[in-house]
Amino acid sequence: MNITADILQVLALILGAPLVRGIIARMKAVLQRRRGASIWRPYAELFKLLRKEDLVPPTSSAVFRLAPIVLFGATACTAAFVPLVHASALLGSYGDFFLLVYLLALGRFFLSLGALDGGSAFGGMGASREALVSSLAEAPFLLGLVALAISASRADIAGIVAWTLGQNIFNISVVHILAFTSLAMVALAETGRMPVDNPATHLELTMIHEGMVLEYSGPSLALIEWASAIKLHVMLALLIALFCPWGMVSTWSGLGITLAVLLYCAKAAVLMILLSVIESAVAKLRMYLVPDFLGVASAVSALAVIFTMWVRR
Amino acid sequence: MLTGSIGAPFAFLLAVLGIVVPLLLIASRAKSVQRLAIALILAASFAGCLVAVFGFRRQPGTVVDLSRATPFPFSFDVDRLSALFLLLVCSVAIPVTMFAAPYFDRHYSEQRRNWTWAFFSLFLLSMIVVVTASTGFAFLAGWELMTLVSAGLILIEGESAERRHNVFIYLLMMHAGAAAVAACFFLFLPFSHSLDFGAIRAAGAIVPPGIRTAVFLLAFVGFGAKAGIIPLHLWLPRAHPIAPSPVSALMSGVMLKTAVYGFVRFSFDFLGGGPAWWGYVVLLAGAVSGLLGVLYAIGEHDLKRLLAYHSVENIGIIYLGLGTSLIFLACHAPLLAALALIAALLHTFNHALFKSLLFLGAGAISSATATVDLEDLGGLQSRMPVTGTAFLIACCSIVGLPLFNGFISEWLTFRSFLAGSALTNAKAQIVLPLMVGVLALIGGLAAACFVKAFGVAFLGRPRSTEAEHAVEVPLPMRSGMALLAAACLFIGILPGLFLRPLASLVQGLIPGAGVPEETLSIARIMPWIAVIVLGTGAFAALFKRRKRMARTWACGLPGLSTRMQYTSTVFSKPIRFVFARIYRPDRTVERLPVDQPYFPASISYRSVRTTSYERALYRPFVDLIVSLAHRLRRLQTGNIQVYLLYIFLALVSLLAFLRFQR
Repeated sequence: MNITADILQVLALILGAPLVRGIIARMKAVLQRRRGASIWRPYAELFKLLRKEDLVPPTSSAVFRLAPIVLFGATACTAAFVPLVHASALLGSYGDFFLLVYLLALGRFFLSLGALDGGSAFGGMGASREALVSSLAEAPFLLGLVALAISASRADIAGIVAWTLGQNIFNISVVHILAFTSLAMVALAETGRMPVDNPATHLELTMIHEGMVLEYSGPSLALIEWASAIKLHVMLALLIALFCPWGMVSTWSGLGITLAVLLYCAKAAVLMILLSVIESAVAKLRMYLVPDFLGVASAVSALAVIFTMWVRR
Repeated sequence: MLTGSIGAPFAFLLAVLGIVVPLLLIASRAKSVQRLAIALILAASFAGCLVAVFGFRRQPGTVVDLSRATPFPFSFDVDRLSALFLLLVCSVAIPVTMFAAPYFDRHYSEQRRNWTWAFFSLFLLSMIVVVTASTGFAFLAGWELMTLVSAGLILIEGESAERRHNVFIYLLMMHAGAAAVAACFFLFLPFSHSLDFGAIRAAGAIVPPGIRTAVFLLAFVGFGAKAGIIPLHLWLPRAHPIAPSPVSALMSGVMLKTAVYGFVRFSFDFLGGGPAWWGYVVLLAGAVSGLLGVLYAIGEHDLKRLLAYHSVENIGIIYLGLGTSLIFLACHAPLLAALALIAALLHTFNHALFKSLLFLGAGAISSATATVDLEDLGGLQSRMPVTGTAFLIACCSIVGLPLFNGFISEWLTFRSFLAGSALTNAKAQIVLPLMVGVLALIGGLAAACFVKAFGVAFLGRPRSTEAEHAVEVPLPMRSGMALLAAACLFIGILPGLFLRPLASLVQGLIPGAGVPEETLSIARIMPWIAVIVLGTGAFAALFKRRKRMARTWACGLPGLSTRMQYTSTVFSKPIRFVFARIYRPDRTVERLPVDQPYFPASISYRSVRTTSYERALYRPFVDLIVSLAHRLRRLQTGNIQVYLLYIFLALVSLLAFLRFQR
């Protein structure tokens, strides 16, 4: 029964990912007093792209077509690490957060290579900027998670979640606040959101992720878009699972599950509102201010690790 | 003379590499003799792998004693630690030899080729001697031979003044290091009364703390110079790139590892760990080498120099593991110490595999395009698919991405940092978890660097006519690279087969250590991750059956030229900009004519990265030595009477010394 629940969770994470994007886009539209598209539109887009043919530059190599596949495989695999409504995950007990972070890195590595293979200046520009952002984002990402792992004295994500579930919600420590701050900042950078990257831009001065995928079309583009939606959803679910897991069930009962799903949706909605407010209110940072942004995140996460010393006893 | 059933193949290996092959090659220049020599080298390496595997199982293992034939005690003993490094040397030697056969044919005339192969064989022999020696004399003899033969291999390639200067620096630093290593051995002598490893190990417990510290520091500096930890790395980016590529592969992949072997032998086996500050010293050296190594690598656009700096980085990662292990040992946590040591040893092995593969890849590129400057490459993946794929696997491995071998060892290092939080020692409790951030930064920057290296060299469009007309290298070269690539993937997906023997090795070095839980869990999860990632990827690939060629979007212009692509220098610019404090480039811009700054006829721009080490660390030292030498020169008057006086004075003082000593 548990395995079934875990597999269902993974599918929900992967299949629900485009919906998260749609809802955020709609919320942003409402905040900006536009009518906005339907929240189901990302699905329609995926279907449209998947039915088309792949356009491949004649000068490119096999890596160009391989990159979206690896990106999708690696990103989808991270979905198996994060508990959603059931307080365990398919790979939650053996796979730890180092594996999760590095699977994301695997996808990103290949996407950057695919971008360079297109042979245009835009791909190189995107890949070069992504290299800067992601190389600086990795340290705060891991340090924030390390702080939580030390407090829980567990390294697997399911274990950290189980430990947090056993705590009182009012018992929140400074470690959690610091770790949340740094992880939220990293999540913005990792998923290519404001103020690090603008997901809506198509201007070469500003784009990072969009620059990398400029040469892609058809099913390749669909896989890339889907993978980045999964990444966004995984980061969202990770923040919820690590910092506010209360309401997750560990046994299988109809009422409990319904309640847990509803609670998850509510928590996700809060985060999505937060994200759309940030995206509407904040301007994109200048490229060379991004290292400062990530430097702050690194400092905060290092503080979180240091403070675990005093919180534990 | 020989004991154990594996003694015979081991003696065969030594005899073939040390005597038969060089003599054959010197005796005859016939093509068939050369082929025979190559076959013998391959057979000897294979025998070495067998000796390592069987010697590992049967402990206490093989002993080959040559003391009767030599004036000093000279014997070999394949214990578990030696077996691991013997396997490392021999398993890398096989693909490198396969690669080198057509490579040397292409690059050298007949006479040089024979010398190269003879030196190549001796180079392998010297490294095998170093890792299996069981007396100090044998170790030092191998150590010295290794330095000299590798310098010879560099000089065979050419003899320009710059090359000779670089080789001079290499030899100088290696001999300074060798002096420190020899001093390590001799410091044991008053307590062990012999240079036999068994006696030294037994003496390790009774050596007073002051001498222990001296031995540790000398071993740290002596082996550190060979390993290339910053700031002792000065020779590394000079010597590695100018060697022929198969030799660079051996130097970077294998020779550096003998230093790690020596350091582990001394600090763990002989001394059995020490105070915690030893660990912090090693940890700091690892962190500095890792970070600066990768940052310097990013700034390079010569592929072989870039790879050489990455060796500095990876040695840094290995030292991070070793330092952590020493700290755990000092805190009486043998299980965690074992975990960190396993991480360091596995990374040593992994680095040997992927770094030699990367250098072979660079060799394949240079033999196809006659350059290793990234700015002149591009588009090689579709022209050299096998080389490209092998190189890509090596890139993923060195970056530490899951499914590739580098990840396993980096993961274990991460977990041993995290385990530091469980200690009761407050300093270790904070410092070790924070090292996660350092290693993550190193990993992130390495990823950026290898996106650049692979992306610029193999993807996109060719940036020169040589790259455009590149053709795939011959079969032996390809199969050498394919073997190494397969090994990288194998360890990455099925690490359990490798971690179990490593755990038993480490138990021998760290008394009281069990099998760390982490090694079991990573072995259990990796095959599943591989299944999920590949399965999902295969599912995703189903959608992409139809494809059509379409030119890259050129913003409506008629077409893109290859110069519109990002180059290596531009790609790394953002990172170099952010870390400008570390690079401190010397920039000079000259506009001519001077009086018209806005409408110059010519502009020349020069940017040189300052070698701040040379300026701040080495220059004062060299100046001191030179000024001392100038002062000592006054003794050399050239007058025979003065020299007779010196002899007389020396004699008198010696006699006086002997008289008063009694």
